[in-house]
Amino acid sequence: MSDEASPPPPDGTPPPAPTQSSGSPSGFLKAVVGKRVVVRLVSGVDYRGVLQCLDGYMNIAMEQTEEYVNGVVTNRYGDAFIRGNNVLYISAGEPI
Amino acid sequence: MAEVSGEIQEPFDLIRLSLSERVVVKLRGDRQLSGVLHAYDGHMNLIMSDVEETIMIVDPVPEGVKPSIRVAKRHIEMLYVRGDGVILVSPPQRE
Repeated sequence: MSDEASPPPPDGTPPPAPTQSSGSPSGFLKAVVGKRVVVRLVSGVDYRGVLQCLDGYMNIAMEQTEEYVNGVVTNRYGDAFIRGNNVLYISAGEPI
Repeated sequence: MAEVSGEIQEPFDLIRLSLSERVVVKLRGDRQLSGVLHAYDGHMNLIMSDVEETIMIVDPVPEGVKPSIRVAKRHIEMLYVRGDGVILVSPPQRE
């Protein structure tokens, strides 16, 4: 941790609390639940839709899901359960 | 009675709400299943019946030739799916 990343609080004032999304990985995930996200699988396939919920295995429930292969929509699912072991990343699809 | 699609607390709720319904399952190895879901567990091992398996086969072609994709289908009365092959499960559209 470098000095400039965490300056000491001036005269006892606590440093500003980090926003939820920048605090930690789980804070980010909490912040994107209910939002549009892009889920990329290790196979390179993308799923774009609204993140309903996820669990500790990173199993994911999404709605209004569109499957993209090489940037082209290949499937649409009203709801989709994605098994967590296939997930490469979850990206916010709208400001959080 | 509160179990409408907006009441999903964890991802497995989506699967629980699909029991006895026809679901689409995407598997590793370019395979897809459509069948009636009877049971599942935490590994996503599945028991399905009246299953149609669709296998996408990309035939090897010489360099520079557009690869052709064949689709093979087969029917299976009753099937146990090992969970580690599952990529995605999609319940039927509910309104």
